[in-house]
Amino acid sequence: MPTTASKIIQDTLANRRHTLSEFESKQVLAEFGIPVATEVLAKTAREAREAADQIVYPVAMKACSPQLLHKTESGGVVLNITTQTDLQQTFESLKAIAPPPDGILVQAMVPGRRELVVGFNRDAQFGPCVMLGLGGIFTEVLADTAFRAAPFDRVEALDMMAELRSARIFDAFRGEPPVDREHLAETLLAVADIAVRFPQVSELDINPLLVNPEGRCVAVDALIVLDTGLKAEGV
Amino acid sequence: MENSPLYKIANPESIAFFGASNNPSAMGTSILNSIRALGFTGRLYPVHPKEAQVQGLEAFGAVADLPQVPDLAVLVLPTAIVAETLDACGQKGIRHAIVVSGGFTEIGAAGAQLQQALENVAQKHGIRFLGPNCTGIVNSHHRLNSTFLPYDIRPGFIGMASQSGSFITQMFDYLGRYGLGYSTGFSVGNEADIDLVDCLQYLARCPHTRVIALYIESIRRGREFIETARAIVPHKPIVAYYVGGSEEGRRAGFSHTGALAGPDRLYTGIFRQSGVIRADSITELFDFCWVLGTCPIPAGKEVIIQTHSGGPGAVAADACGRSGLKLPALDADTLARLAPFVPHTGSCHNPIDLTFTRNPLDYYLKIPEILLESPSCRSVLTYFLVPSKTVRQSLELMGVAADQLESETEQVLATIAEAIAALPAKHGKPLVGFSFRNHEDPFARMLYALGLPVLPDPGRAARALAALVAYRRLKMKIEKSGSN
Repeated sequence: MPTTASKIIQDTLANRRHTLSEFESKQVLAEFGIPVATEVLAKTAREAREAADQIVYPVAMKACSPQLLHKTESGGVVLNITTQTDLQQTFESLKAIAPPPDGILVQAMVPGRRELVVGFNRDAQFGPCVMLGLGGIFTEVLADTAFRAAPFDRVEALDMMAELRSARIFDAFRGEPPVDREHLAETLLAVADIAVRFPQVSELDINPLLVNPEGRCVAVDALIVLDTGLKAEGV
Repeated sequence: MENSPLYKIANPESIAFFGASNNPSAMGTSILNSIRALGFTGRLYPVHPKEAQVQGLEAFGAVADLPQVPDLAVLVLPTAIVAETLDACGQKGIRHAIVVSGGFTEIGAAGAQLQQALENVAQKHGIRFLGPNCTGIVNSHHRLNSTFLPYDIRPGFIGMASQSGSFITQMFDYLGRYGLGYSTGFSVGNEADIDLVDCLQYLARCPHTRVIALYIESIRRGREFIETARAIVPHKPIVAYYVGGSEEGRRAGFSHTGALAGPDRLYTGIFRQSGVIRADSITELFDFCWVLGTCPIPAGKEVIIQTHSGGPGAVAADACGRSGLKLPALDADTLARLAPFVPHTGSCHNPIDLTFTRNPLDYYLKIPEILLESPSCRSVLTYFLVPSKTVRQSLELMGVAADQLESETEQVLATIAEAIAALPAKHGKPLVGFSFRNHEDPFARMLYALGLPVLPDPGRAARALAALVAYRRLKMKIEKSGSN
């Protein structure tokens, strides 16, 4: 039984919240073996500085709160911070946005040109349905997606990649190697596993799931939505 | 197959029939007459409260009076008395039924209550039933047609389960034109008991069914559908035409995933996961069934197009490209073998354009045979400028007597048709035809009857061939999963 994920979900439901913060969501993903961007949740400017020193500049900073579903639109995301002075200023300005964040995420800037989206929702007939799509700001404009009802196997996970209209994005691309398809398949299977184990999770989004220059996928942002009508135990 | 709840419904030896009378315009009467028209060989017991005879058959006042326990009850009754009649059938010992009557969940809350009552009665007696609100079934090989339209075409190889009764009955004539027909067709209606998944399981085992067609508006048992289809696809292809809720109808969610999970995109993935080939229209559903039910599976997506007219060849080439098929160049050996048959105006680039044919036997036998023998060819797509008139003219010029012209022409055409229709099986590669001629032409009819698909449009032929290639891929994918 994944203990961290169970605890986070249980606590969230106990607090009658129906979304996990980005930080909490990624802890759940990490426990299921999905690589996430290195990050620290800083409560103070000093913690943020120490985190940035450790992560190595440039870093990204994000206001972190389960209430904040659209961080970019609310000005809660600042990328490519290169100096301590900038870090200090950004910390203060992010702290000031409403609703007041729990803390500020200091996150490694993940290099990579290709953005994917992976997630699931629940369908009345088919249960949890996992999606792979082209990610980033054009996700909903391009709507290039492939769905599979969970559970499914590795062969189906690989077939999801082949199903996208932009399937060639998984080949070598602008000087970057092909996407490690087996690794991406494992990520899709891990997401399906979360869906099957936690019926309380009604929706999950990893957007973007960035392809790094080694061809491996890293979760840069994530959102988990809970069904507050369900009990807290996992299965 | 005998264990399927549908076995006795599709293969009854005796039927109790409710709702037929001596009123010729009643729906029940039409259905009873359909059953008789197809020559059902089992016993048929009309049950009628007043009449001693119904449509010339001995009628019984109540199901309890029947001299045996029939395999099946067919109910075409007013909604209000359906449940009590089924109860009487249950008391008699009948365990299978088709409920044609409507007025249940499809009309709202009041109907839903009646349907629940019907389900309760069925459960009490262990009755398995099709419907309500359905047109019933046709099993052409058992000479059973419980729909209200006469099945006057030949038995076929398409097994269908449909959430619209019209796409069973109103396709009889359409399929008949191409020499096609149903092995068994189920109209599932409201699926109160038997649903699409049960039909899939039956059709998978039905020896007359070579390909399964589905018309779907919504799948009720999602996971069972996926698992059942995946178990069938390695042995039998499944094609579905899905008409779902609109993209606007999707549930609003917090996530991008929720926003993108419209029913159409979701079903695309579900079908692919299930190994089911998705068709985009009713005609395409049957085009795909035609090719999937008659052709060997090609070993790849490489197609050679054979034509003697530039335009139709170009259109076919374009359609192949759009459908994901490849048009390879021919190898030197094949080119050398073709040379004697190609006039100087012709072209041996793919499409192979003969421009004209000296002898129809070259075009319809020698050339396709050379193409099918080529290692660079996985399938052949052939344009049929049906030669009926040319053959007749040639025979006339050769001095065949006027009174023998008809039969001689037919003889020659039959020889050509049989020769070309035998090629795919001989070479283990598909040959799909396309033509602007149709069933009104005797040569086209001969080809249909021999099981050679000749589609009425190059685009439709290319897409159907692409469906065959897709079937191979889906089958291999599922077999690969199974061996993990």
